[in-house]
Amino acid sequence: MSNSIAIAKKELNIYFATPIAYVMFTLFVVIGSYFFLRLLGAYEAASLQYMRFNAPEMMNRLNFQDAIFRNLFGNLGVILIFIIPFLTMRLLAEEKRTKTMELLYTTPVTPAQIVFGKYLAAVIILTCTLALTLTYPVLVQIVAKDQNGVEWRSVLLGYLGLFLMGAAYMAIGLFISSLTESQVVAALITFVTLLMTWIIGWSAQEAEGGMREVVTYLSSVSHLDSFSRGTIDLKDLIYFVSIIVLGLFATHRAVEAHRWS
Amino acid sequence: MIEVSHLVKSYRELKAVQDISFQVATGEILGFLGPNGAGKTTTMRMVTGAIPPTSGSIKVDGLDVFEAPLEVKRRIGYLPETPPLYTDMTVRSYLRFVAEIKGVKSKARDGEVDRVAGLTNCIQYIERVIGNLSKGQRQRVGIAQALLGDPPVLILDEPTSGLDPAQQREVRDLIKGLAGKHTIILSTHILSEVTATCQKVLIVASGKVVAYDTLEGLQKSHAGQMTADGQPGPALSLEEIFLKLTSA
Repeated sequence: MSNSIAIAKKELNIYFATPIAYVMFTLFVVIGSYFFLRLLGAYEAASLQYMRFNAPEMMNRLNFQDAIFRNLFGNLGVILIFIIPFLTMRLLAEEKRTKTMELLYTTPVTPAQIVFGKYLAAVIILTCTLALTLTYPVLVQIVAKDQNGVEWRSVLLGYLGLFLMGAAYMAIGLFISSLTESQVVAALITFVTLLMTWIIGWSAQEAEGGMREVVTYLSSVSHLDSFSRGTIDLKDLIYFVSIIVLGLFATHRAVEAHRWS
Repeated sequence: MIEVSHLVKSYRELKAVQDISFQVATGEILGFLGPNGAGKTTTMRMVTGAIPPTSGSIKVDGLDVFEAPLEVKRRIGYLPETPPLYTDMTVRSYLRFVAEIKGVKSKARDGEVDRVAGLTNCIQYIERVIGNLSKGQRQRVGIAQALLGDPPVLILDEPTSGLDPAQQREVRDLIKGLAGKHTIILSTHILSEVTATCQKVLIVASGKVVAYDTLEGLQKSHAGQMTADGQPGPALSLEEIFLKLTSA
């Protein structure tokens, strides 16, 4: 465990010594804020319209969770597909290319500790990325505190969903990074894989019956939505957790196999 | 301290190492020589546990590398052919990281980092980012890394490559100073280095041992041609012996 923490600390040191973490934080916040402002604008327009037509029952149905955060989390989830490949590409590919893997192989560190340490660092970066967007619900809370404010339980569940989805994406990214020495190849393949988990959901609309359910289950974004609605569904938890476990297990095998090649 | 017997490593058709055996006693320095591609690096990587051998056994301090890999790795300091450096880190944070994964206790870590940086003369640039260092400076950080935790066995793959003559002498003196306390395998292309530091010499060519003896023994068995009046000829230098053995 202490070896994993040492490796995680080293990875974080490199993340923040190079521009990669800062660039990804900035991109995530810039695009996220754009979506947030648009959703806020739409909310404002809708509430003005209901007031003009004097429709209190419609007004009651309008809430921040459904109108803003549920959509916002969906959008943030899609942005994660674009930034996570750049956060995971370096993790193992670079160690192989620069032969620093040799150092890890000849010190008393097990492959499991290497994989866990790297993953830990990646998940900490993910947590920082998501924490930056907490400004949105806090802003809404400050401005709208007279009107019941934000439903924090649902918002935090939405963040849990985003975190689990990001963590699953990172496990996939880490595994792909373990297969190549090239960061560019790792980033590209990770990006295509993550994109597939999103766009496969589109074909669910055309599919029928059992096929439709299977395809919907495979789509990562569909599992995020129930969290954003403020519920925890066991099948969504299982989906993300099994991707994480499978990704880490496969990475462990790949790191072990690398020495035998 | 180190016992290697019948070591073989093959990569599909290619046999990189074929049946190499040798022993290094505690406190001894073994000079490991051979032309490029002879299997030196492969052998050293197997001894450190970086790669598994195809067959044969390696024991360090009585422990089998394959059966107790972590125990063996705790006893070995290894400088690979390419120093394993993270170019985005400073020398100090890099050495601290290596000390941590080698299990140096957190209280002793700073002292240990300063000690090895002092020994290898890295102390002047310890706060600089490794990516901005010269090749010789990087090589010395690589040596410092191998010395961390004061391991009883040191395996150094061309420790003086990339160093200028003054630095080469410094490293040679450092290695000589480590002898006695540490068991060292030293691979190099600079034969005068072997003459200056090593007790025993192992010469390999195309994956096979061609000579394994003490320096004097080697010179005796390869003494020059008998002269006409039956007297032994002048002793050959290590360079001449090396060329004679590896060209065959």
